[in-house]
Amino acid sequence: MVNQKDVGEEKDFLAIIDSLTDGLMVFDKEGKLSLINPVAQRIFEIETEVLGKSIVEFFNSPNLKNLFYLLGKEIKEVFRKELAVRKNLILEVTSLQILKEGKKLGSLVILHDITREKAIERMKTEFVSLSAHQLRTPLSETKWALETLSKEKLGKLTAGQKEIVEKAYDSNKRMLALINDLLDVVEIEEGRRLYKLTLSDFGEVVQSVVESYQEEIKKKQIKFEFRVPNKKLPKIRIDTEKMKLAVQNLLDNSVRYNLPGGMITVTLNATEKEIEFSIEDTGIGIPKNEQQNVFGKFFRSSNAVKIETEGNGLGLFIVKNIIEAHNGKIWFQSEEGKGTTFYFNLPLK
Amino acid sequence: MKKKILVIEDEKTLRFLLNQTLAEEGFEVEEAIDGEEGIQKLKESKPDLILLDLLLPGIDGFEVLSRIKRDSDSESIPVIILSNLGQEEEVERGLKLGAIDYLIKAHFTLDEIALRVKKFLE
Repeated sequence: MVNQKDVGEEKDFLAIIDSLTDGLMVFDKEGKLSLINPVAQRIFEIETEVLGKSIVEFFNSPNLKNLFYLLGKEIKEVFRKELAVRKNLILEVTSLQILKEGKKLGSLVILHDITREKAIERMKTEFVSLSAHQLRTPLSETKWALETLSKEKLGKLTAGQKEIVEKAYDSNKRMLALINDLLDVVEIEEGRRLYKLTLSDFGEVVQSVVESYQEEIKKKQIKFEFRVPNKKLPKIRIDTEKMKLAVQNLLDNSVRYNLPGGMITVTLNATEKEIEFSIEDTGIGIPKNEQQNVFGKFFRSSNAVKIETEGNGLGLFIVKNIIEAHNGKIWFQSEEGKGTTFYFNLPLK
Repeated sequence: MKKKILVIEDEKTLRFLLNQTLAEEGFEVEEAIDGEEGIQKLKESKPDLILLDLLLPGIDGFEVLSRIKRDSDSESIPVIILSNLGQEEEVERGLKLGAIDYLIKAHFTLDEIALRVKKFLE
C-alpha cells in the first residue's frame, strides 16, 4: 500500500502508484516527504518512518544521503541523472516540479533502476576494447611484414608484386586506423575521455597538428592559411593529447574532402571568456538534408562516400565528444559544393 | 663499434622483423623471448638500448622494466617500450617506471622505430 499521510478518496490512483515498477517520491513545497511508494522504499532500504521528514534530514541516512547530494535542499529539477545508491544498484533519477494552476505544489522524484543496462554497457565496452587490442597485435605484425617486403629488404620484387604488397599495406593501415577510432569511441563511452588536464598553450597544440599536415597539404596542392592573433593566447586547462586528436580529425577532413587547388583557413582567437577556433575549407560540403547527422556515430555524407572510399564516420563523433568534455561548444556551416567551416569554443574557466 | 640493442619480444616474427631492420641500420641485435631471458641477456651482453614488449609470458614487461631500473648495473640503459597496449594508464605507468619512450606497435613503421632508436643513441 502506498504510504501516504492523508489517504483521501483517490484509492485507485494510489493503487496505480503502488504498482509502478519505478520508485516514486513526492515532496511538498516545504521540501518534506509526503509520499513514497514501495519500490522507492525497497531501493533505499527504508524501514523507519520517513514521511514528513525534510530532504535535509536525509543527509544523516547512509542510504539516502546520495540522493540529497544530487537534488540539494531545494530539490532541483534533474533529468535522468545517474545515481549509485550502493554497489550493484545504479539509478537514473528524474525530478520535476508539480505545478497546479501555475503554483508549485511540490516535487516529484522518479527512480529508475538501470543497474542491468549499466552492466551490459560495461561488458560491451570491455569487449570492444579487448578485441581491439587483440586485433591490433596480428595487424601490426602484418604491417611490419608488408613494410619489410615492400622495401625489398628480403629481396627484389617484380613491379606487379610490389604493387600488390603496397595495396595490402594500405588496406592494413586503414584497418588499424579504424580500430584506433573504435578504441577512442569506447573510451568516450566509458567516460574516460579526459585523462590528463594540464594548463597548456592551445596555439602550440594547433601549430603542432598543422605542421604534421604540411606535406599532405602540399601534395594535394591546397593553399593553407593559419591566422593567429598578435598577442599570445591565454593558457587553458586541456587534455592536450585529446585536443590534438580533435584538431587533427578536423584538419584531416578539410584536407581529405577538399579539391586540388582548394583552400583551408585555420583561425584562432581569444576573448576574455573563451578561445575560438575555426577551420574553413573549400571542399565538397555536406548536403543540407544530411547536416543534422554530422556528429553521429558512423555518419558519412553521401557525396563523401561517392568520391572517397576511405573514412569510417567516427572522426566528428570523437571531435564533438572531446570538445564537449572540455565544456566547449562545436558547430558548423556548410554548403554542398562550396565548402564547410567547423567552429568550436573552449571556455577559459 | 656497433651499438647493441636488446629486443625483448615473445613473437617470433616480430623479433625477426625488428632484428632485420635494426641490423640493416648498423646495430648489433640480441634477442630475448621473454622477461626472464631478457634479464639474463641484459647481464651478459650489456646492451646500449632495450626494446621491451609488455605482454610477455612469465614476468611481464612492467616487472622487467622495474627490475632493470632497480639494478644499479642496468638502471642507466635506456628502455623503449614497444607494445600494443596503449591506454593512457599503461603509457603513464611505463614512463613512470623509467622508460624513455613508449611506442604503440600499430602506430609505427619499422623505419620509424629504427629512427627513434638512433635518436636516443646519438
